[in-house]
Amino acid sequence: MSTAKTPQQSFAPDSVAVTGTVIGLLALVPGWLTLKPSRVAAGVSLKLWELEWGAVGLFVVLWSACLVLGLIGVKRRSIFLGILANLIIILTLIFAGFAASRLHATTTPIARVAPGAGFWVTLFAAYVLVFAARQKTRSSPLWRNLLSWSGLTVFFVLLFLGWFDSISVMQEFMGQEDRFAQELTRHMLLFGGSVIIGTLIGIPLGIWSARSRRAEKPIFFIANITQTIPSLALFGLLIAPLSALSFAFPVLREFGIRGVGATPAIIALIIYSLLPIIQNTYTSLRNLDPAVIDAGLGMGMSRMQIFRRIEVPLAAPIVLEGVRIALVQSVGLTAVAALIGAGGLGAFVFQGLGQAAPDLIILGAIPIIILALLVDALMRTVVRITRPRGLAGGGA
Amino acid sequence: MIRLEHVTKVYDITIAVNDFSLEVAKGEVCVLIGPSGCGKTTTLRMINRLIEPTSGKIYIDGKDTSQIKPEQLRLSIGYAIQSVGLFPHLSVAQNIATVPELLHWDRKRVARRVDELLELVGLNPREYARKYPRELSGGEAQRIGVARALAADPPILLMDEPFGAVDPLTRERLQAQFVRIQQEVRKTVILVTHDLDEAIRLADRIAIMAAGKLVQHDTPETILSRPSNKFVHDFVGTDRALKRLSRISITNFIRQSSSVNVNAPVKEVMAACDKCRWVWVVNDAGQLVGWIDRTTLPEGGSVKEAIVQVKPEEIAVLTSATLREALSRMLGQGFRSVPVVDDKVRLIGEVTLRDIESATAETETS
Repeated sequence: MSTAKTPQQSFAPDSVAVTGTVIGLLALVPGWLTLKPSRVAAGVSLKLWELEWGAVGLFVVLWSACLVLGLIGVKRRSIFLGILANLIIILTLIFAGFAASRLHATTTPIARVAPGAGFWVTLFAAYVLVFAARQKTRSSPLWRNLLSWSGLTVFFVLLFLGWFDSISVMQEFMGQEDRFAQELTRHMLLFGGSVIIGTLIGIPLGIWSARSRRAEKPIFFIANITQTIPSLALFGLLIAPLSALSFAFPVLREFGIRGVGATPAIIALIIYSLLPIIQNTYTSLRNLDPAVIDAGLGMGMSRMQIFRRIEVPLAAPIVLEGVRIALVQSVGLTAVAALIGAGGLGAFVFQGLGQAAPDLIILGAIPIIILALLVDALMRTVVRITRPRGLAGGGA
Repeated sequence: MIRLEHVTKVYDITIAVNDFSLEVAKGEVCVLIGPSGCGKTTTLRMINRLIEPTSGKIYIDGKDTSQIKPEQLRLSIGYAIQSVGLFPHLSVAQNIATVPELLHWDRKRVARRVDELLELVGLNPREYARKYPRELSGGEAQRIGVARALAADPPILLMDEPFGAVDPLTRERLQAQFVRIQQEVRKTVILVTHDLDEAIRLADRIAIMAAGKLVQHDTPETILSRPSNKFVHDFVGTDRALKRLSRISITNFIRQSSSVNVNAPVKEVMAACDKCRWVWVVNDAGQLVGWIDRTTLPEGGSVKEAIVQVKPEEIAVLTSATLREALSRMLGQGFRSVPVVDDKVRLIGEVTLRDIESATAETETS
C-alpha cells in the first residue's frame, strides 16, 4: 500500500470510527420497521432481511469499507470515511421511506409503519463516523460543512418530496399540519424573544459588573443561583407569584399575564439566558488589555469613542458567543415550558408521553434537535464573521 | 513650553508626587528618572491629565492645562507607553491614523501621513501598513507606537518607558533611531525611564526623582560630574566616568592615522610611520582591510604577505560613535587605538586610548 511508506502513516486505527462501524454493523440485526395495526396498538418488528435481502448486502459492503478505512486510520483518508458515512445516511433514509410505503400499500389505511431500532441506530452510528471524519480531515471548511449537513439536507428534500409520507410520524404530522406550524412558530417566538430580551438585559448587567467591583459580586451571585434551579422547578416557582399578581390586578390578564402559559415561561427563559450573556460580556471586557484602553485615552479618545471603536469590536465576538449558548440552551428549555401550558414543540412531546404515542413524541423531539443544530450553526457563523481580522482566527 | 508648578498628587494616605516643579524648554528632551515608585509615571500622566493633580498647576505654552478639556489637550500631545497598546483589531495603518482621524483629516492626507511616519520609523509602508499588531515583533510594535504618537504632529511627546519591553540589542537600535528622529522633528519630549544609560543617551536634561520629589534637574554631563547629593551620587553609580564617555562624541578626538595601500611594497610601510608599531592597511578605495605589525615585517616582501586581515565592522567605529563605544572596542580587541571609518568603511583616522584618558581627566576636573 502506497500510504504505508512512513511509520506514522501506516497503522493508526481510528478508535471512534471503528466503534461507530461496529455499532453500524450490529444495527443490521434489530428490526428496521415496526408494523402496527393502529396508532397505539403493539406492533410487529420487521428485520432488514425480511424487508429486502439486497439492502442487507449493500449495507454490509458499505460498513465493511468503513471498517477498513477506520482500521487504516490514515488522516488523508478520513474525507472518504465521511463521504461513505453520508452515503449510508442517505441510503438509510431512502430505503426507510421506500420500504415503508411498500409495506403500507399491503395493509389497512389505519395501520402505522414506524422506523425501528435498526433504523435509528444506523443513523446514529453513521453520524459517529461523520464527526470522527470531520475532526480528522484537513480538508477545507466547505468539505467539512458538506460532511455535516448533506444528510440533513437530503432528509429535508425527501421530506418535501413526500418520500416519508407512509411513515407513522409523517402521518401523525399530516393529521395536524396546521397545529405543527403553530407550535413551531410559538417555539421560535418563545426562545427567540426570551433570548433577545435576555440579551438586552444581560449586556448592560455584564458591562456594569465589569466596570464596578461593587456590582460584580451580587450580579454573579444571583445569576449563578438561578442557573442551578432545575428548569421545571423555576417554571413551577413562577406560577404562584404570577397567579397572585394577575388575581390582584385583573387588568394584567388583558396583557396575557397569568400564572400559567407564556408569561412564566418567558420570564424563566430570560432568567436562564442571563448567565451566559452576563458572563461573556463581563469576560470580554475584563480581558481587554488595559494598555489598549490607556493608549486610547492618552491619545485623546473620549470614553464613548473608546467604547465604540475599541471595546465593542473587541468584545462583540465573545458576547455573541454567550448569546449563542443562551439560544441553544433555550431551544431545549422551551420544550419543558410546554408543561406549564406555554405551548411550543414540547406540547407534542408531552402529549405523546401522555397518550403513549411514540410517533407524537418524535414529531416534537426531532424538530427541536434540528432547530438547536441550525441555531448553533447560524450563531457560530455570526461569531466568526464579527471576529476582527486582526485577532487570531478572525476574519470571514 | 511645559511648566509644572508645585504639583502634588496624594492617594489616600500616600503622597505619590510631592510639590514637584519642573520646566521643560521647547524642543528639549527631558528624561524623568528614578527608582520605581518615585512618582515619575504619575508626573507624566498628570501632564496630559490622565491623572488629575491634587494641587499645583501645569502650564503648556503658558496655558493652564486644567482649563482645557482633557480630550482636547491630549489630541495635541503624543503619547507612547511601554506596553505600546496598539489596537489589536486595527491594521498598522489604522492604528497610526487614530489621532488624525479623531481630528477629521481627509482620507488622502491621513494615508500620506501614515506612509511618511512608517518611513520615519524605518519600516517599509508597503510591507507594514496592512499588517496587524499580532504579526509584529516587539521592536516593530514599539516603533509603530512611536509613529502613532507622532501621527498628528503634536508639539509635545510624552513617553513612558517606550523602549522598555524589548531586548537590549533592539533597545539600543530604537534609542539610536529616536535620537535621529528627534533631530529631525524637534519635539518637546518628556520621557520616563528607570534605565540610566538610556537617560544619558537620550536626554538634553535629566530630572532625577525620589519619593515624589525632584532631586536634581540638569544636563547629563553635570549630573554625572556633579551629583547634587548622596542619593544622586549613589543612583548614577560608581561607573560615572564610563557613563560620561557615552555623552562624548569621538568627532573631536579623531586623529590622523598612518596607513598604507594593500598593494604597496614593504618599504612604504617604513616610510608611512617610523615611530609606530602598527599601521592600518587600506585598499584602493581607501577602505579598511587590515593592519600590519611592523616588527613582524619580512625584509623586502610586500604588504600583502604580512597583513592581518580584519572585518572592519568588528574593530572599527563609525564617525558618529561615542568615546564609550570606542573604548569598548579597544578593550574587546586588546588594542590601544581604534580605527574610525565612514559609512562606506573608508578609513578616516583613529582614536587612541590616551585621548580617552585625557578626556576623562578633563571632565573629571571641570
